[in-house]
Amino acid sequence: MNPDTCWSNLRDSAQILKKKHLSELLSDDTRFDTLSFSHDGVLLDLSRQRLLPETVDQLVALAEASGLKEKIDALIGGARVNITEDRAALHTALRTPAEKSLEVDGVDVVAGVQQTLQKMDKLVSILHSGQWRGYNGEAIDTVVNIGVGGSDLGPLMTCHALEEFKPDTVQGIDLHFVSSMDGSQLSGLLSRLNPATTLFVLSSKSFTTIDTLANAATARQWLLDASGLEVETILRHHFIGITAQPAKACEWGIPEQNQLLFWDWTGGRYSMWSAIGLPIAIATGMDGFRQLLAGAHSIDTHYQQAPFKENLPVLLALAGIWNINLLDIHAHAILPYDGRLAHLPSYLEQLEMESNGKSVTLDGADSDARTCPVLWGEIGPNAQHAFYQLLHQGTEAVMCDFIVPAKRYTEQSQTLQEQHRLALANCLAQARVLALGDKALDEETASAAPPWKRYRGNQPSTVILVDELTPYSLGQLIAIYEHKVYTQAVIWQINPFDQWGVELGKKMATAMLNELDEASPSTTLDSATRGLLGRINRLRHDSESA
Amino acid sequence: MKICVWGEELAAWIAAAQFAGFGNDVIKAGSEMAPADSSNRVEPGLMEQLQHSIDAGKLVSNEQEDPFSADIHWLAIGPGELEAATEIVARIAAVHTGQVLVINQSNLGSGASDQLQQRLDAERDQHVIYLPDMLQAGQAMRQFSNPDVLLVGCEHEAARIMFAALMRPFTREGTELRMMSRREAEFTKFAITGMLALRLGYINELATLADHVGVDIETVRDGMSTDPRVGPHYLAPGCGFGGQHFTQYIEGLAGLLSKTRGSTLLETVLTQNEQHKELPFRKLWQHFHCDLSGRRIAVWGLAFKPGVTTIDGAPSLKTVDALLAQGAIIQLHDPEALEEFRFHYGESEQLVYCDEPYDAVNNADALLLLTAWPEYWSPNYTELHRLMKDPVIIDGRNVYDPQLLHDLGFTYYGVGR
Repeated sequence: MNPDTCWSNLRDSAQILKKKHLSELLSDDTRFDTLSFSHDGVLLDLSRQRLLPETVDQLVALAEASGLKEKIDALIGGARVNITEDRAALHTALRTPAEKSLEVDGVDVVAGVQQTLQKMDKLVSILHSGQWRGYNGEAIDTVVNIGVGGSDLGPLMTCHALEEFKPDTVQGIDLHFVSSMDGSQLSGLLSRLNPATTLFVLSSKSFTTIDTLANAATARQWLLDASGLEVETILRHHFIGITAQPAKACEWGIPEQNQLLFWDWTGGRYSMWSAIGLPIAIATGMDGFRQLLAGAHSIDTHYQQAPFKENLPVLLALAGIWNINLLDIHAHAILPYDGRLAHLPSYLEQLEMESNGKSVTLDGADSDARTCPVLWGEIGPNAQHAFYQLLHQGTEAVMCDFIVPAKRYTEQSQTLQEQHRLALANCLAQARVLALGDKALDEETASAAPPWKRYRGNQPSTVILVDELTPYSLGQLIAIYEHKVYTQAVIWQINPFDQWGVELGKKMATAMLNELDEASPSTTLDSATRGLLGRINRLRHDSESA
Repeated sequence: MKICVWGEELAAWIAAAQFAGFGNDVIKAGSEMAPADSSNRVEPGLMEQLQHSIDAGKLVSNEQEDPFSADIHWLAIGPGELEAATEIVARIAAVHTGQVLVINQSNLGSGASDQLQQRLDAERDQHVIYLPDMLQAGQAMRQFSNPDVLLVGCEHEAARIMFAALMRPFTREGTELRMMSRREAEFTKFAITGMLALRLGYINELATLADHVGVDIETVRDGMSTDPRVGPHYLAPGCGFGGQHFTQYIEGLAGLLSKTRGSTLLETVLTQNEQHKELPFRKLWQHFHCDLSGRRIAVWGLAFKPGVTTIDGAPSLKTVDALLAQGAIIQLHDPEALEEFRFHYGESEQLVYCDEPYDAVNNADALLLLTAWPEYWSPNYTELHRLMKDPVIIDGRNVYDPQLLHDLGFTYYGVGR
């Protein structure tokens, strides 16, 4: 079958299914059994999607017709799947176990990955034993990660999620994350921290990211002022650089022994598995970090080997395709029912929207199909008091991902366990009400309610249930979403690994920096920009002369 | 009277020697017949009295005589050995049906003596008295034999009479007996120890400040102690106190304070003490511009204090850990604790164990003095200067005269000077 036929079949099914309410579909008692899928402790429940088991077969046929199998092999095998930048996207190699190997252009990338892991291990153990010394000889007790985008969101999300997995034996290290280019996070932080015991980790793939370098320069000056020492000494003891461009890091002054390297073939938003994950290793220990990698690797193997009908990332992607391209739903909410996953929504916003927010296909044509929807999210129970109103009674169709661990606080107090029960109950209740609407109530109560108390329901959702949140299961969860994104990109025939839209903004900002000090704005600028520049320059000039 | 003395603390040896010297029959239980720590062996008058009593047959070991045959028991065992104390008392209770007196002089924490009492039968005149250990090394024999005042945690008149009889030879010259409950006496001991720790913590904080403002803390301390409200005791700045017993005891008190009162005062002292143990390392680090890789560093003094073989909690541990991590070569000497140190660290290319202090300084880039053993106080400076590659001395105990060392061509760093 070719993809066109598949699409056409799917459109036919959609015509029928669009008319069916989820409450009708859910009246089938076998639905959960046929539409929930599990692998290695992760359950993917698609029974609240507006589709039938047969629809899944049609979607799988589309995936097959799109050459997904070959594309997965190409991705994991190190082919140059990122065609606009002519390189591989080998985040899977970052979590490949040491005993395996993968040759790309004559180099065993797994060996290189393992070397970096060993260097990380060494740095982490020095820090944890209290033997990384600052300029006055005191042990470093605070690490500040300076990075933005992929160099910030992954470590931040994971460190927050796995806070309780801090190894007992290690000396406590306080971790902070700084990303904003305006210095607002950094300035507050520096007033509280002790320069003699603070280590900065500069994370930047290119080591030219202006956001990061601006923060780094402020941090360096802070240390120079506090210590009165030479810059080489400060850089040697208070800065680690993580980059794919060692020459640029050297230029900035990071000594070689303080550099951790990754590679061009690691996309920023896929980089938390690389040296960029250093803060994770500091927070959870190297064992925790390796568990995270092992969880992701388990999904990599599953993605490459499992039939699509049982393949969690593929099925998650196909449910999305169904909603976006066949049911015309273009808003997607990420709703973790666990406060530890507070940063997961923003992590997935970047992963999905920076990857698949594209409208040009691999052969350069405009995409006929709609691609990545708008994603946003929040810790579920908190969002219930915020935007759930729109989900329940607004005019927009929204697909939701509910993410929740079954067990939590198993060795802690009864009241905390009770709180997790409360979260679970809310998660299940919300998924149910979004699907059923009024039908969740008895008919009499529902029909007696005034219009503003009626609930339409029929909002589709997926539940991802993990047994427990651990480094391993978080690794699985993130890898599932990564491969979901790739699967959708294959079906949409777009490149998920570039981000040219982001590049243009960076370039323009550099040009605009000069304009800010010009007496009169350049005439080549548009009138809106000229108007704002004029006003800002006047205000800044006034305050200087005042 | 027949007395059995338990424990290895200085207080145990002093009690054994003094009671035997006054005609009592003393069994020394649970140890060899001489103190293991050299600091106890050098206690003035102690060894002579012990030997004399052994020769006279008044002091015997528990192999010569059953310790439980005595009806007076003197417990001076280490903190944290409550379980051992409980076992001893339980055994006493099992053996004796009549009158028994247990004098507890161990720092087992608040309420421990009451717990021991529960093992005995007060109805049969079996009592526990808590007598806080107030002996100071160097004057312990004299303080025991002629105390100005004794704090006695005793809650029974019969026990008081028995105790008074036992102590009569030492209390003739008007010693005041302050009677209180066992718990109060234990708490008083706690309070005194905490106070001493606070003084040490305070002087070490001042020493750090003195480093910054450029005054000599030794001069300041001398001035401070002229005020009778302050006095001279426990004000010697140094690179931190160690020793399992003192630290453990303060940790117990700190834990109690923070748990029941939310007070972090003593915890802060303990945390800062740990940081202070790294002070010599930090001075060295700064002297060599934050790079000690390949430097040859001599360390004099590994024991947590002079006169012991123990390295528990000693500043030498933190210092050597730090130097190892920085890739320095460390040449170590200690008159008594070298073997324990070797046992702790084993052999390593970075560690050189030296039997002679001058071997340790040979070709060294710096010398760290961490324990104030007497043999380090007046070295042959000319020899020292000749042997060292770089004459840098970091004096963690302020035993040397900065001006003299400066005049002799050394670079000198002390604690707060």
